[in-house]
Amino acid sequence: MNVRIGYLYPDLMNIYGDRGNVLTLVQRCRWRGIAVEVDELGLGDPVPPGRHDIFFMGGGQDREQVMVCGDLLEVKGEAIKREIDGGAAALVICGAYQLFGRYYRPFEGEELPGIGVFDAHTVAGKKRCIGNVVAKSALGGRSGLLVGFENHSGKTFLGDGCTPLGRVTVGYGNNAEDRTEGAIFKGAVGTYLHGSLLPKNPGIADFLIEKALSRRGHLTSIRRLDDTLELKAQEAAIARARKTH
Amino acid sequence: MRFGGGSTLPGRVARKLSSHFVPDMVQSLPLGCALVTGTNGKTTTATLLAELLDRAGMTPVHNRTGANLMAGIASALIRESDLRGRPAGLIGVFEVDEAALPSAAAETSPRLVLVNNLFRDQLDRYGELDTLAAKMKKAIAAMDRSTIVVLNADDPLVASIGDGLEQRVLYYGIGETRQANRTAQHAADSIHCASCGAPLTYEYYLFGHMGRYSCDNCGWSRPEPIVSADDIEMSGMESTLCTLKYPGGGNRIRIPLPGLYNVYNVLAATTAGFALNVSIETAMSGIEGFKAAFGRVERVEADGRQVLMVLAKNPAGCNEVIRTLTSEPGRRDVLLALNDNIADGRDVSWIWDVDFEMLNGKLDKVVCSGVRAWDMALRLKYAGLEELTLTVEPELESALDGALALTSPGQTLHIVPTYTAMLDLRKIMSERGLVTPFWEDR
Repeated sequence: MNVRIGYLYPDLMNIYGDRGNVLTLVQRCRWRGIAVEVDELGLGDPVPPGRHDIFFMGGGQDREQVMVCGDLLEVKGEAIKREIDGGAAALVICGAYQLFGRYYRPFEGEELPGIGVFDAHTVAGKKRCIGNVVAKSALGGRSGLLVGFENHSGKTFLGDGCTPLGRVTVGYGNNAEDRTEGAIFKGAVGTYLHGSLLPKNPGIADFLIEKALSRRGHLTSIRRLDDTLELKAQEAAIARARKTH
Repeated sequence: MRFGGGSTLPGRVARKLSSHFVPDMVQSLPLGCALVTGTNGKTTTATLLAELLDRAGMTPVHNRTGANLMAGIASALIRESDLRGRPAGLIGVFEVDEAALPSAAAETSPRLVLVNNLFRDQLDRYGELDTLAAKMKKAIAAMDRSTIVVLNADDPLVASIGDGLEQRVLYYGIGETRQANRTAQHAADSIHCASCGAPLTYEYYLFGHMGRYSCDNCGWSRPEPIVSADDIEMSGMESTLCTLKYPGGGNRIRIPLPGLYNVYNVLAATTAGFALNVSIETAMSGIEGFKAAFGRVERVEADGRQVLMVLAKNPAGCNEVIRTLTSEPGRRDVLLALNDNIADGRDVSWIWDVDFEMLNGKLDKVVCSGVRAWDMALRLKYAGLEELTLTVEPELESALDGALALTSPGQTLHIVPTYTAMLDLRKIMSERGLVTPFWEDR
């Protein structure tokens, strides 16, 4: 068994420890004896058909996000959409989540188009949503909960073509209005949660790995790992989130 | 009256009473004031600069204990004023938060401003680095033309602040490549040319995004430093040897502080000291006799064990602490204490940008503590240290006792805390009489 990860723009979209997500995917594959490779996909690099089972992209600063937006539209966007339609998994965080939607509408000027993996759009917001987040989610594993840290001012609204990743119980989530957080479309997960997300939310990590393996024809469910430390860390972070909000 | 170390209460009261308080007090300092800022090392740099000025007979007033917002400056001015309310010193040395530089500059009209580095720290407070650098540049450009600007040449974000300024700009930097890497660390921020926006090309990296860089697109490059450090030899956690070069000469000196990051702090303070008329002899003896700023590096003895505490509050700083910690052979006993209070930054995501993988095979006993102890332990597990026996004890005092018990007598326990964890640990150790309370540090 093997899994190949396409790490999108690691040098540009690397804010808030998001690379911990790739580390988590790699380790959780290794601990199960699944061979894993990580390809870094930078500006101008094409996305070869059928090569990557999981795509990952983190958040970035404004300038990096604009550079990446151009490359996604011109070079990689269509191919990534095709791969996800074909069963590849993806995890995209914060700015990347916005770029995987239909468009971003700033306060002034033209709408920035996204690649439209998610039926979602983002509008610039005046208030910055910062803080710990707790959300109920079907991908929350044994606790049924997700925990992370959000830091965004864009407000994302979902259409009918995707489902929310979770319902916020602490924090703001997608738009600070409808209590939704993140989006799921097929094997692709978009979210505002940094943290890093996957270490303390192994349910999502294993969802992505299972999607990747089933794309390669391995349909059995993956072996459970000893997640005592992961769940202790999640529990402690949830308690802290409830206390600091 | 005693308000205790780092207290800003009197300052807040004074600032309420009169909005002219800080400007008036600074006006009455005969030699004006210097502002020290940057993400990492401002307390060490400002403390060393104050030490150099003190040795040169310029009696500094210094906001000494890391209370570095405007209220802290006001407090320092009150604490060190005579009975008539005039400051008791001749020159002010004030460390200010990066984001507070514009307001501090407007209130103090500094004679000198120093920017040591800009790293990703607490973006939940400050916003993005590019924006921060642009704001700092604007504030400095608006200062009096006679202001001296001291900048780190090796940090492109900081160096770009000096482009096109009307003021005199003095750069410092590390000149040798023995400590360099060809590739960036994971904590390195991606840096673009300040004049044209193209990605910069690095000949080498020193740490984070510090190094020798140039822009292939427009030709902008690292400015030549006027004060530099060469032939650096690290002596583990104890000290660092280097050749300090300045116009017209150089000296081989021993800096009693570990790590490359402290070489930058020394270069920064020395360059500022020279600009404020400190002599070379005074500067060299001041550096060699320097004791680290409170809590930044602290050595004490407890229960027959050595305790070495080194503050780490963001990815670049933490990577340097780890690199220094692992620079000598052998395995270390460590206590890592991670808090997420407001002064630490609520977001602990940054630990995933630190290369804890460097600790593989380098640790013996490991205790994780602080409010986010479990996050720390999880980070070590995913760094490939899962075979180690980790002790997790969120409560700091129990963690300290546990870690001391795990450390063999005569051995050293290395404590790496975030800011508020450092304050709490220091309080615990001071209650036990192991360290002096920091308001008596003077």
